[in-house]
Amino acid sequence: MLKKINLKNKIALVTGAGKGLGKACSIALAEAGAKVIILSRTKSDLIKVGKMIKKTKGSSKAFVCDVTNIEEFKNVLKKISRLDILVNNAGNNRPEHFTKVKRENMEYLTNLNMKAAFNVAQLCSQKMVKAKNRKKIGGSIIHMSSQLGKVGCEGRNVYNMNKFGIEGLARGMAVELAPYNIRVNTVCPTFVETPMVKNFFKNKKFKKQMLSNIPLGRVAKESDVATAVAFLAGETSEMITGTSLVVDGGWTAK
Amino acid sequence: MGLFLKDINLKGKTALITGATKGLGRGTAQAIAEAGGNVIAIGRNQSELNSLGKIIRKLRVKYVSFDCDVNNYNRIESFISRLKSLDILVNNAGTNIPEPFLNVKKTSLETLLNVNTKAAFNIAQLCANQIIKLKKKQGSIINISSIFGLVAGQKRSVYSMTKFGVEGLTKGMALDLAKYNIRVNSVCPNIVLTPRTKKYFADKKYNKYIKDSTPINKVVTVSDVATAVTFLASEASSMITGSSVVIDGGWTAK
Repeated sequence: MLKKINLKNKIALVTGAGKGLGKACSIALAEAGAKVIILSRTKSDLIKVGKMIKKTKGSSKAFVCDVTNIEEFKNVLKKISRLDILVNNAGNNRPEHFTKVKRENMEYLTNLNMKAAFNVAQLCSQKMVKAKNRKKIGGSIIHMSSQLGKVGCEGRNVYNMNKFGIEGLARGMAVELAPYNIRVNTVCPTFVETPMVKNFFKNKKFKKQMLSNIPLGRVAKESDVATAVAFLAGETSEMITGTSLVVDGGWTAK
Repeated sequence: MGLFLKDINLKGKTALITGATKGLGRGTAQAIAEAGGNVIAIGRNQSELNSLGKIIRKLRVKYVSFDCDVNNYNRIESFISRLKSLDILVNNAGTNIPEPFLNVKKTSLETLLNVNTKAAFNIAQLCANQIIKLKKKQGSIINISSIFGLVAGQKRSVYSMTKFGVEGLTKGMALDLAKYNIRVNSVCPNIVLTPRTKKYFADKKYNKYIKDSTPINKVVTVSDVATAVTFLASEASSMITGSSVVIDGGWTAK
């Protein structure tokens, strides 16, 4: 009756795999038995993640790649025989008040969080549907969204725009890829203990304000999000598509 | 427990499941036992409770059953208030009487409100109070909702009213119980093939409607739902509260 999280014989690709959530997801997927293709702009980060995966007796292959460079990403895909799982994770945030948002920041965030996310998802989907037995073995795409893909937040207007967009993309993709038995979902975490958030939390007032918005009174751990991604990646969630797994300690329930 | 992948493990935990004799309740009881959790089953048929007990005890966990109608507040209250162990509630008992809005009988409305709304509320409240009284450091309550807690369906006006209500209750409970580290979530399945829904699938027109409404060309199984419930019951989802896991093959993504 109970299906176990088991990704043996699956090949997963994770973008932004060098740090934070991408790193955690890569390791969790490897722990669940998947072979993981890890992408990051920073070679030294990839080496570290690869070593950690090896320690958990998992298997990985690393590619230095900037996902905003579509040609670079296409070249990576050429070197991969098959793909079953995509964790579309690479993303960033530059909080600014709406009236003060710099045009270059809006461009940068939108190019990375939306345009690159779309391109990566499209290219991976094209590769996934080519597998002859896809309908039988299924596939899973998980977009790293955010609680800010569900609700607004001060100084997060561009990020809100990007992540609400990803929520929409996930639903559209889910409907179109369902005939191939490829499922598409998002994970919407609250603030997670990552290097990016640790940096935001140097501002004590901001930290207090954010924590007071999380009913459970704590930030998420990387493992909370990585486990949710692993749950969505395999058969444990074989009828879950076009939806979001909200890992936010109750933030958006208010 | 891996480095970043958490196990779906309920060893040493006790779960109370209502409507446990058939369908989703029965399957969930079994899945919880498979994850190592002890089971307290409430249902209205002693022989079915006994046959479930045989399956559960084989999994080497404790099993207690209580033959009781969830509408019988006094009997339910005295039973729950005497429990020595309780960590998880699967608030499952529910029913449906599909009728076109214009023809909904007063008795149908009463039945659905009594079981799906009032009994669900009462049992959730009694269990939450008991978990707090037992000084548990964490708890998890899972309300069995439905896609009709999120969208409407033909002849489902009352059912939708009760299940939209359960979605609201879930979020309200999540906020009030967060300080006790009791998480509250719902699962929203598509129409699952169970003894109760067999007649819907037998109706050719309705069967086609279900098929046409579900992008992933499969019927949701009891195992799909039971796995999601067990995930929410366990610490693998320790930052998920006030949220819904939608298991609908893409029905509500459209």
